[in-house]
Order: sequence, then structure tokens, then C-alpha cells
Amino acid sequence: MIKNALLILLPIFLFGQTNFFGYFESEFDQLKFADQTYNYGYNKLRLDFEAHPNDAVTIGTNVNVQKYFDNISWNLLDFLPSDIYRPIFQPEGYPEEMWITEFPIALLDTFYLDNVYLKAGFEHFDLTVGKQQISLGTGYAWNPIDIFNSKQLLDPTYEQTGVNAVRSEIPINGRTSVDVILSTGEDWKESAKMLQLKTGLGRFDLHGTIGQYTWERIVFDPTQFLLSIQKSERTLIGGAVVGELAGAGIWLEGAWNKLENQDDFTEVVIGTDYTFENGLYIIMEYLRNENGVLNKENLDINNYLQYFMGETHSLMQDYLFGFLSYPINDFIQFGLLGFGNLNDNSAALNPQISWNLFQDVDLTMMYSHFLGGDNTEFGVQDWGWRIRLRGYF
Amino acid sequence: MKNILAITLVLATVVIAQEAIPTGQELVKKMSEIMTQENSTAIMTQTITTSSGKQRTFEFEMFTTGEGEKTLMRYLKPSAARGQAFLMLNNADDIWTYFPRTKRVRKLSSSSKNQKVQGSDFSFEDMGSGDSWKKEYVSENLGTEKFDGTDCWKLQSIGIPEQDPSYPKMEVYMRKTDFYPIKINYFDESDFIEKTLLMSEIKEIEGVPTAMQMTMENHLEGTETTMQTLSTTYSWEPPVNFFTERELKK
Repeated sequence: MIKNALLILLPIFLFGQTNFFGYFESEFDQLKFADQTYNYGYNKLRLDFEAHPNDAVTIGTNVNVQKYFDNISWNLLDFLPSDIYRPIFQPEGYPEEMWITEFPIALLDTFYLDNVYLKAGFEHFDLTVGKQQISLGTGYAWNPIDIFNSKQLLDPTYEQTGVNAVRSEIPINGRTSVDVILSTGEDWKESAKMLQLKTGLGRFDLHGTIGQYTWERIVFDPTQFLLSIQKSERTLIGGAVVGELAGAGIWLEGAWNKLENQDDFTEVVIGTDYTFENGLYIIMEYLRNENGVLNKENLDINNYLQYFMGETHSLMQDYLFGFLSYPINDFIQFGLLGFGNLNDNSAALNPQISWNLFQDVDLTMMYSHFLGGDNTEFGVQDWGWRIRLRGYF
Repeated sequence: MKNILAITLVLATVVIAQEAIPTGQELVKKMSEIMTQENSTAIMTQTITTSSGKQRTFEFEMFTTGEGEKTLMRYLKPSAARGQAFLMLNNADDIWTYFPRTKRVRKLSSSSKNQKVQGSDFSFEDMGSGDSWKKEYVSENLGTEKFDGTDCWKLQSIGIPEQDPSYPKMEVYMRKTDFYPIKINYFDESDFIEKTLLMSEIKEIEGVPTAMQMTMENHLEGTETTMQTLSTTYSWEPPVNFFTERELKK
């Protein structure tokens, strides 16, 4: 498939005005659980091609090659609190020989076209067709109106994978525009349809969003040990306000979600940030996600699976996120990231150093310390560290 | 009679001399007329030199309109910064930034206005405040002084606190011949020269004196940033709705 796509795109890239760029990234991680240590990492090459057959048209794609090393076979049970998996896999009354101690997940090497799209700029609107990165919302760590992506709290600004879609951005006047997105599914009902209106009012930006799609979630049936996909119609009505108060940035992003055969839920993020004279930057966010579980006792394995798959933005309902960064010098940045689950009282603290070693070469080192009981979302891990080297070209 | 004539001559000379010395506000007006054109576009490099001598070089394109009231900057090089863009409206009171890797636009709060752009010694305010300083400062002509062998007017501008000026005080050395500034000292709250901007390689571009090189020296951190203009024009007409999120994301 990649070969065919590249063969089709090759003449455009050869004869159009083409840019080649991308990055190489190498990462090594170590994660420590109560009785397990995971060493793993990957080497990744992202190669972007961007052609401009004329002033109005951009054709872009990127090829991603990612090869994992060291521990590439993970046991899902290590990432779950014991009171979630024991009743299913190691039930009381069953002899230990019959217990299931492994739920393997393999980190498979990947070689894929992440984005491949054509963007045309017409006089009164832009049209982008193809697999493209779509990032919605104003929140930093969570985006209630973003039905396409779910962010990693340890690394919320990492790029997201592409979405097959047709998107039209229609400017009305200076700060007002309409954004129409159609992400095709197997049929019209399963396709994601979104309409977003953006405008400005004084120092504030306002967004209103309405969307409808078929929400697919993974469901594990413990009686038959089967995984299946549960589908439900989801209608989202949301919006966002971004502005500032006394020099501090403030934002509110929220969505009300109407679901077929399930309770409606609301998801809201409120955040603020401030940059001090000395360069110290602080950002804080609070998430309230009614789609999460309020009490730890009510969690089940499907809540975890759906969260791990990125099908829901959080496992439980109430979270705090904070990040501060301070420039030690022009090339070295110290950061302290932290997030906490307010429902089960678990948290993570993550000091980090970002170092621009050379032009276009960045080194990031981070340590994570997890707090909370063994049967909590973050307390299930003890600690971890990560080294990531990225060289752009 | 002789005495009366002498006094009259002296008075006349004083009047002529007084008329020939422009006031601070007149200098600001003259300087503003040549420094802020209605529209401009340029491709520039930005070389940051740290106190240890390490360098990083960026290349960006910059578009301005409304005498600098609206500015759009987009980085072309190096690869790590490629496509990152800033839209500054209302003289950098409102700033949006675009990250091409995540395709996200974020609005920056005004507390970040005086922060470094890409780690350089230029702040967002330095880059995008246009001629807003005309109303943020009270200026006084301190007289004539030579800088780098050039006769200059020395202008002192004191910030009006209610106008939220970028710096509490500035000193501008402008050429007497055409009122073009060649050196600006920026002071901090303790009246220490925090930064110095040096403008050199001044050429006539479409009849407008233009510094092809600007160097900002940061005396607090021992760093400096040099911006070299590779190409520029003042005859560019911005398309309708150019200074919007749509263009930011291109």
C-alpha cells in the first residue's frame, strides 16, 4: 500500500516544488512496577514530503518507520490494579495452576503513511482531503471537543496520528471562520460530522462545536474471554473560550455528549497559564469528565481498556494537571510536570530537562515518580525514566 | 543704539537656534515616519550567540501592515522550527502561535509579550509592537552626541506607567541627517541598560532607509542576537484576511 502510494506521489514530488524534512528519534524508557521492570525503547524515522504544484495547492505526506527494542512483549496485567484483573484472571477458589498471569501486548514495528493529503486554497475557503492531523480544542492536556485524539499526560504536545477526512475551513472575516469536518466511516451514520464556528470578542476567542458520529469502544467479555467493539451514536455540542485576566491566560473548553443507549455526559476543562518576567512559565488545568468513573470501586477492566485505547479522555472523573518550565540558559530548559487523579488520590511527578544539544538536535531526559496506593491509576507504577534524542533534518 | 542692535542679534540667534533644535516629540514623529511603513515583508536570518559563544541560526519570513500594528512571522529554518508561526495583532497585545507538528494554534497571554522569541534577545513586543511606543513614552531631546562617528540626536523616552510600556526608559541615538535610529538602549527598572539595539548596513530600499542588520545585545545575560535582512519590500499589499489564523496555519 505504501509502495503504491509513493509510486503515485513520486512524480508530484519529483516535478513539483518539493520539500523533504522530518526527524530521527530514539527513545529509551525504564518503568518500575512492584515486581517488574520494563526496559524498552524505539528508533523512529519520520520523513515528510511536501510538494507545491502551484501556489494554491499543497500535497503532503509522511512515512513513519518505528522499530522497538528490548522488552517488546508487555503484560497488560502489570498495568492494572490487582483488584481489577484478579476477579477475572485469577479468581478466588481456582487453583493457581489455572490462573491466567499474562495478557500479552506486543509492541510491533511499524512502517506506515501517517498523513497523506491534498490541501487546496480557494479564494473563499481552504479544502483538505485525505489522511490529515486534526487537532481540536484549546486545552493543553485534555480536549473535550476533540473526538479524534487522546493525549498522553506525560507528553501532551506529541504529534497525533492522521485522520481520514475532508475538511473545509471557511473564513468569514478577520477572526470569524467556519470549520467543516467529515471523517468518513463505513457509511454515513458511522462517519464523523463536525461543524465548528470560531470568532473573537475583544481579547477573547470563542469556539462553538457540534458533531455527530458513531463512537466505537472496545469491550472485553470476561465470561467468554472475547473482545468486541461496542458502537453507539454520539452527538457532541461543545465550545471553548480563550482569553486572559490580569495578564494570565485563561480558557474553558467543554462538551455535552448525548449517547444512544447510555447516559449523557459532560466533559469540561478549565485552565490558566502565566509567564513571569524571569521566563518561568506555569500552566494548570482541571478536568471534569463525567464519562469517567467516580468511585474506584466501580472501575472494571473495560474502563481501563477504553482509556488505554484512547477511546475516552480519562479513566476517572476529576483530574489536575500542572507544568512549569524555566530556561536555565538559551539551550537548556528545566520542566516539572505533574498530574493527579482526584478521585483515587494518585499522582505523578515528572521533573525533566530539555537540552538543545546542537542546531536541530534535542535531548530530553525525564524521571517519573508515581504516588498512590497499589490499586490506584498512577500508583500501580513505582517510577520510570525516559531519555529521548531527536534530530531534525 | 549699538547695545540694542547687539541684544536683538543675540535674541534672533537664540530664536533661530531654538527653532533648529527639534523637540523630543518632533524627533519621535520624524523617526516614526521613516521607521514604520504601511506594509512590509522581509526574509531575515536570526543568529543567537550565547555567552559561551555557541550559535543557533534561524530564518523566517515576516509580514507587517498598519504601520506594524499587525505582524505575521513564520520560521523557514532550521528544520526543528520550520513552519512555526506567530500572529501578533494590536501591536502584539494579542499573540497566537502555531505549532506545525501538532497542527495546533494557541493564544498566548499578555504575560508572555516580553518573553524571548525562539530564545533570541528579541521579545514578542520588540518584534510586533510597531509604533505603539509613540503613545507609551514621553520623549525629550537630550541634544547632540556622536555615536560611531555619526552626529546623532539623543532622545530619551520615559515610559508612562498607565500605558504599560515594554521598558521603563529608552535612549535613542538617531542620525541628524535623516532621523534614522542607529542605537537604542533599553533600561530595566533599576535604570540599568538591559539591552542595546544596534542598527547597521543602512540602505535605501524603495526610498526608505532600512537597516539590513540589527543586533540586540543583552547585557544581563551576555548574549546577542543578530537579525540580517536577506530581502525586503515595502510595496507588498496584504491580501484580504491575510493576518488571520488561516494564514498562520499555511
